[in-house]
Amino acid sequence: MAYQLDLSIIIKHIPLFLKGVFLTVEISFFAILLGLIIGIFFAVARTSRFKILNLAGAAYVEVFRNTPLLIQIFIIFFGLPGIGIKLSPYASGLTALVLYVGAYNTEVVRAGLEAVPKGQIEAAKSLGLTGVQTFLYVILPQTFRISLPALGNNWVALVKNSSLVSVIGMVELTWVALDLNALTFRSFELFGAATIFYLILIFILINIQALVEKRFAFKT
Amino acid sequence: MFDFEVITKNLPYLLSGVKFTIALACLVIFLGTFLGIILGLSKLSKNRLIRYPASFIVEITRDTPIIMQMFFIFFGLPALGIRLQTFPSAALAMSLFAAGNTAEIVRGAIDSLPLGQFDAAKSLGMNYFQMMIHVIIPQALRRMIPPAMGLFTTLIKDTSLAAIIGAFELTRAGQEIIERTLRSLEIYLVVAAIYFIICYPLSYYTRKVEKQRVTGF
Repeated sequence: MAYQLDLSIIIKHIPLFLKGVFLTVEISFFAILLGLIIGIFFAVARTSRFKILNLAGAAYVEVFRNTPLLIQIFIIFFGLPGIGIKLSPYASGLTALVLYVGAYNTEVVRAGLEAVPKGQIEAAKSLGLTGVQTFLYVILPQTFRISLPALGNNWVALVKNSSLVSVIGMVELTWVALDLNALTFRSFELFGAATIFYLILIFILINIQALVEKRFAFKT
Repeated sequence: MFDFEVITKNLPYLLSGVKFTIALACLVIFLGTFLGIILGLSKLSKNRLIRYPASFIVEITRDTPIIMQMFFIFFGLPALGIRLQTFPSAALAMSLFAAGNTAEIVRGAIDSLPLGQFDAAKSLGMNYFQMMIHVIIPQALRRMIPPAMGLFTTLIKDTSLAAIIGAFELTRAGQEIIERTLRSLEIYLVVAAIYFIICYPLSYYTRKVEKQRVTGF
C-alpha cells in the first residue's frame, strides 16, 4: 500500500509550529548573546598573565567541549536538584546552551585576540589609552571582526543544538514535532516540516551573519 | 549526599554501554568518511546532474539537527515501508550527518590546492582518476586531517543522541541506571567523565596537529 501524504496535518497545526519556531528563535537569540559575553570573558581569562585565570579558562573550555551537550543538559536539569539547585526547563536549557556555545566561542575569541597585531596595543598605549580603553576601543572591535566567520559557524551549530532542549520538555520546534507525532503518527510529514523550518532558520541566520560580516569588513 | 557506592556498583553496566558508543562512533566515522568523500568529489564535479544533488544532500544533512534526522529515519521512514531498529536508525542518521560534513571538508581541502597542481597532472597526460589518486588526494588529505579529527570528536559526543530514540549506548545505560537508582547527578557526572576520557585525547591531538604548519602544498 502506498503511503498517502497528508499535508493538511501541517496546515492544521501551523500555529503550534510557529509557537515552536518562536521559542527556538528566542532561546537561540539569548544563547548567542550570553554565549558571546561568556566567550569574551573566558577568552580574556585564557590570554591573561595570571596562571589561575588561565587554568580556569582552559578547564572550562576542555570540560564543556569534550562532553556531550545532552549530558550537560541532563546534569543541569536532573542532576543539580540533587544538591539543591532547581532550575526550570527553560533556565536549564538556556544555561546548558550558553555554557556549551560559550566554550566554543572562547576558543574562537581567543584566536581573534591573539591575531590582533602587537603594534595596535603599542599604538593605543602611546596615545595614552588605559588598559580598559585599549581593550574596549582597540582590541575588542578588531577581535570581533576577525572572529566573526568562526562565531557564525558556532551560531549555526547552536540553532541546531537548541533542538536538544526538547528532551527536558521545552516547547520548541523539535518538541512540537515530537508531540504532534505522538498524537497523529504522521511522522513523515511532521519531521519533514520541522526539518524545513530548521533549514529556513539556518538560512536566515547565515544571511544575517554575512550581512554583519560585510558591515564590519576591513575597508581596503 | 553524594553516593559513591552507586557509581562503583554500576560502573560495569556503564562500561557495557561504552562498547556500543565506540561501535556506533566507529561505524559512523567509517561510513561517513566513505560517503563524504564521494559526496565531496561529486560537489566538485563539472556535471550539474551530479553536482546539484550532491550539494542538496550536503546542505540538508549539515543544516538540520541530527536528532531531526534521527526522528525522520526512525519514525518517518516506516511510512515508506522501511522499518529500522533504533541502533541502525541512529547509525544511518549520524552517518549521513558525518557524510555531509566530511564532504565540505573534502571540498574545502581540494579547493584550497593551487590550480597549477591540476594543470600539471593533466599536462602529464593523467586521466581524472590518476590525477586524483596520485596528485590531488595525497595533498588534500594532509589539509583534511585537522578538521576531520575535530568532526570525529563531535561525532563521538553526538552518539549520545542515539539514546533519545532508545538505542543502547553509554547515555542510555546511564538513564537505565538512574531509572533504577534515582541518582541522576552521580551517574550523569560519571557518564560525562567517560565521554571526556574518550574525547579529550582526540581533541588534544587535533590541536597539536593544527598547530603544526602545513608544509609544502
